[in-house]
Amino acid sequence: MSSTSANSPAAEVERLTVRYGRTLACDAVSLAVSPGSVYALLGRNGAGKSSLVQCLLGARKPSSGFARLFGTDSWKERARLLSRVGVVPEEPDAPPAMTARQLSDFCRRLYARWDSAAVEARLARFGVAPDVAFGRLSKGQKGQVLLALALASSPDLLVLDDPTLGLDVVARRAFWDELLDDLSDRGTTVFLTTHDLASVEGIATRVGVLKSGRLVVDEEVDALKARFRRIRYGNRITETRTAYGTELDQFDAVGVKVRGWGVEAVVSNWDPEAFERFRGIDGVEDAESSGLSLEEIFIAVAGESPRAEAAKGEAR
Amino acid sequence: MRFLRIDPSDPAPIWSQIERNLRRLVASSALAPGEAVPSVRDLAKDLRVNPATVAKAYQRLADAGILAVRRGDGTYVAEKPPLLARGERDRTLRDGASTYAALAGSIGATQEQAEKEIAAAWRNQERTLAKAPPGKEKKEE
Repeated sequence: MSSTSANSPAAEVERLTVRYGRTLACDAVSLAVSPGSVYALLGRNGAGKSSLVQCLLGARKPSSGFARLFGTDSWKERARLLSRVGVVPEEPDAPPAMTARQLSDFCRRLYARWDSAAVEARLARFGVAPDVAFGRLSKGQKGQVLLALALASSPDLLVLDDPTLGLDVVARRAFWDELLDDLSDRGTTVFLTTHDLASVEGIATRVGVLKSGRLVVDEEVDALKARFRRIRYGNRITETRTAYGTELDQFDAVGVKVRGWGVEAVVSNWDPEAFERFRGIDGVEDAESSGLSLEEIFIAVAGESPRAEAAKGEAR
Repeated sequence: MRFLRIDPSDPAPIWSQIERNLRRLVASSALAPGEAVPSVRDLAKDLRVNPATVAKAYQRLADAGILAVRRGDGTYVAEKPPLLARGERDRTLRDGASTYAALAGSIGATQEQAEKEIAAAWRNQERTLAKAPPGKEKKEE
């Protein structure tokens, strides 16, 4: 394995496969997080996100394939690599008796760079008392403490594993605002998983979608939003047109619903010129199109609202 | 910036929405020549978008001569920003007017009523702009 080079992706997995017995959590997944980007990995619960993150952080050995940080194998070089990575895990975890200040003092000894003042400043902005035991903080505050700690070492890569799960809207907002600040200051590279699609809408530069262990989308957000669109039209059977909506095939429709007033479809291969021709077809009436939010695109690709799924929680 | 909004369901990239909106604010004099615009950081936080996205919009506007970056000071509307071409402005106005006229007609409004609403909306807009010049907001805070 080559040593760290400036050209390596900050994080990458290559044909990564993770098996639990007969269950395939990740199925030959390849993706790369280039320096300076904010990569959001999306997927329903059980899609394989956490397994991928664990491999990336060297906490789990891939069944096959590779996970690398800064071009170096995560599993083999875990200890050395993690000093360059800030992590906010899904379940905020720290010794419950230690206060945020004690945690910061403790971590300072482990890292070459450590900015205690920045930790205090962030805790102040979050409104978290630095001298209250971690175990007595709310879930939102625990997440905020861990973010403050994760950023204190000026990491080359920030890994956030669904960091705002279970937080209320105010705590979520404070969390993303703090991340935006760091993006402004340092252009931090971020790899995150989340169900909070509305919040990462403008922050993520690239998006991956895992579905049953397979990476079904891996694309720049701008390109994704140009490609996906909703089409609605009234559908009339004519002498020459007997089938419903076959003309939609050219747009690679991923979801087609026939409603009382006509047809609604989400297409994944939008083409404005082809759409003009489509509108001219006899029997296609009042066709119109509209853009989609990241959340709507995710639902079309992954099958169900992530909120509905988050509500189901661990029930599955 | 109060008048700058982004729409997540607009398929146009966010940087392009920001660029378009800022062009509009400058063209309508809501942002006057020489006036300060928010820093990349402040605007990114306001809009809750990646600062790199705002930076891209600002860079394009600077390249187009609409914004001027003063090193170590901030970003300002250029002293003489190039205005929307006359033809384009006329066309945009005409498009909007025909949409509005069609709407007014379809609900049975008279031309007089429709024009009255336009005038009121215009006054209202000027009043809001006078009250809150967006570029100055930040400075005064």
